[in-house]
Amino acid sequence: MKKNILNLAIIVFIAFSSNNANAQYNTLWIPDTLSGTHFELTLKDTFAQFKTGNQTISAGVNNSKFWGPTLFFNKEDTVYMKVKNKLNDSTTLHWHGMHLPAVMDGGPHQVIPPGTIWQPYWKVTNNASTYWYHPHLHTMTQEQLTKGLGGFIIVRDQHESSLALPRSYGVDDIPLVLTSRRYNASNAFVTTKCSYGDYMLTNGTPNAQTDLPKQFVRLRILNAEMERAYNLGFSDNRTFYIIATDGGLVNTPVAVTKVILAVGERIEILVDLSNDAVGSSLDLEAYNSGFAIGFPGGEPGTTGEFGSLLNNTTFNLLHINVVAQTNNAIKSIPSTLANNTYWTAADATVSRTIKVTDGNPGPNSKPFSLDSQPFDLTQINNTVNLNTIEKWTITNNNVFGHTFHIHDVEFKIVSRSGSSVGNYEAGWKDVLYLPRNTSATFVAKFDDYSDSIHPFMYHCHFSNHEDGGMMGQFVVKSSTTGINKIEEELNDFSIYPNPSSEKIYIKFGSPLMQAYYIKINNSFGRTIYMLPRPQLQNGIDISNLSPGLYFLQLTDEKTKGTITKKFIVE
Amino acid sequence: MMNRARALTLFALTFATIGLAGFTVAGFKYDRNNIIEKTISDFRLKNVDGSSISLSDYPNAKGFIIIFTCNHCPFAKLYTKRLNKLSKMFDSLGVPLLAINSMDTAIYEDENFQKMQEIALAEKYNFPYLYDNMQTVVKDFKADHTPHAFIIWKENEVWKIKYSGAIDDNGQDPEIATPFISDAVEELLQGKKVAKSVTSSVGCRIFYRK
Repeated sequence: MKKNILNLAIIVFIAFSSNNANAQYNTLWIPDTLSGTHFELTLKDTFAQFKTGNQTISAGVNNSKFWGPTLFFNKEDTVYMKVKNKLNDSTTLHWHGMHLPAVMDGGPHQVIPPGTIWQPYWKVTNNASTYWYHPHLHTMTQEQLTKGLGGFIIVRDQHESSLALPRSYGVDDIPLVLTSRRYNASNAFVTTKCSYGDYMLTNGTPNAQTDLPKQFVRLRILNAEMERAYNLGFSDNRTFYIIATDGGLVNTPVAVTKVILAVGERIEILVDLSNDAVGSSLDLEAYNSGFAIGFPGGEPGTTGEFGSLLNNTTFNLLHINVVAQTNNAIKSIPSTLANNTYWTAADATVSRTIKVTDGNPGPNSKPFSLDSQPFDLTQINNTVNLNTIEKWTITNNNVFGHTFHIHDVEFKIVSRSGSSVGNYEAGWKDVLYLPRNTSATFVAKFDDYSDSIHPFMYHCHFSNHEDGGMMGQFVVKSSTTGINKIEEELNDFSIYPNPSSEKIYIKFGSPLMQAYYIKINNSFGRTIYMLPRPQLQNGIDISNLSPGLYFLQLTDEKTKGTITKKFIVE
Repeated sequence: MMNRARALTLFALTFATIGLAGFTVAGFKYDRNNIIEKTISDFRLKNVDGSSISLSDYPNAKGFIIIFTCNHCPFAKLYTKRLNKLSKMFDSLGVPLLAINSMDTAIYEDENFQKMQEIALAEKYNFPYLYDNMQTVVKDFKADHTPHAFIIWKENEVWKIKYSGAIDDNGQDPEIATPFISDAVEELLQGKKVAKSVTSSVGCRIFYRK
């Protein structure tokens, strides 16, 4: 039968060409790059050939089939994002690790309906490091992440650029997003009751291999799994050097032979290939066997919700073929990378404790939660005063390991119960791994951005736990943006010119008014634009709107009151 | 896990002022194996040519191939030529093909009737492409993704589901696909039981309006 013959053919991953050198491997796909200050991201349904047989429904960004382009930001630039949702479903897009206003953050409150364009912007104040963007729609995060929505953000700054580090993207500076997937009989991704995938995808490539030059190479590694942690190491147990954690360079390189990277965490490492022969190869592997119970991915089962073919085993992440050195090869590691001054526990003026709760197996099992309060979009769990340095202790006297992620800030882990803080996590972090029966304490400063109504999230970054309610939210309040006790009159505004075909402008009835949020709806009630804190001096471009009647809904910054006005596009 | 519809509703109530989705959507579950032999009610839907079409308009039909499809789904788009081929193959044998779009246009604008007309014209559809804008038909069939194929067969003057699932098992390459639908129709025409009566439909999810 023709079908059977073709089914025996080698899997060719259509999105990414296969490499003839080593037939069992596929060439590692490197995401496209976007740079500058204005970024357009279109999220859309698509499909890709991951396995022999039927294609797998996936989600891509712009032209990708799984995982989106890498965004390059320069520190101090203001970046303007235009996110168009062309998915079949609502979504959100969170800028993981970015310090920005809550209304721009892309958490569960910034829902982008299908067909809508969301335009957040912010000034990049983060240090040079590796960040990422991903969907954050409550209860739907696992499904949308599983389909492949997400992408890297690489921030560059003057200091990092002055160091002799590899930074030729895709040549000696390689982004690696690690995740795995389970497929059903029709080759569709399994998105429910599935904590672990069975087949590794490195940058969306099954059985990935890549050529790397005979010199120091930088790998920017992100764990974008649902639950699995990776105990990273090389097949010859060689030493490698951690140069950056989630939020920036570490002060000095940290030499290791293994390091655990849990869900949501990033790490930048340098690996020295200068002594490897051209034509030789080595493997980046996950040494995940033999962990105590509670290690995510250490469960012995191979099937079911908590089992996987990759659990409690050593498996390959990337096959590396050493090729000739490039010009301008990096041949040594700087001895000093940064001069970070970290806050200490003594700097904190407010202490909070968060406990991992529920999740115990049994007949009355409830999903994991934080402080016994399943996430509620309408409930603010904590209020932080602007400019406060706070100390948060997260305690996990529970049945399993988790990761803890907080939005808005990069933090410094100051202590862990039962062990010292590892050198590998000594830098700025926004995710920490919280093994079973441990606690961790971090210190962070909540500066720059306050908002009385839009909250930031903190949560377990296991998307199934987060979807199940293991998440809380906090607002950052300044003394001037508190909920107004005095009823203030909301002043009026007008739209001109009206009708218009190119741009509309807003004229406020009072100089005290400022736009906190503008939403433009068409006459069917469909939201066309979501514009958080729009910069109105140059007007709002409406040239892409088809002629007709529209509604502009403006929320005032100070009062948070909303007024809707009609305008006509001709 | 929190009910999705509830989460979105709560959300809409709380944050309506800053302008977010006002609709609620809900997934649903059903036992795929239970759908076989289910009786389907006759329906009447608007066709892209402006006419309205009902099962009763086909007094000589032995059965129907019913395809829930849509305009925008990249996976559904792979099947347009195959639908024409299936329709051509079985229409003269008394098994007409009807394509139905039941996507919620409140969610996805491109699923509107005008776009359906454009696609039917561009793809030279040789079968009706019907607009289930109230989602009554899709709820009767309980279709879950586009494309989702059914075969219904006339038994004692009622229409019974004999097949539910994918059109075939390879979206990209019809040459190597197992043709679930044509196999099943052949079996029914020969008076046999459908050997493989249930498969999974693969594609974009059909959200049911509350």
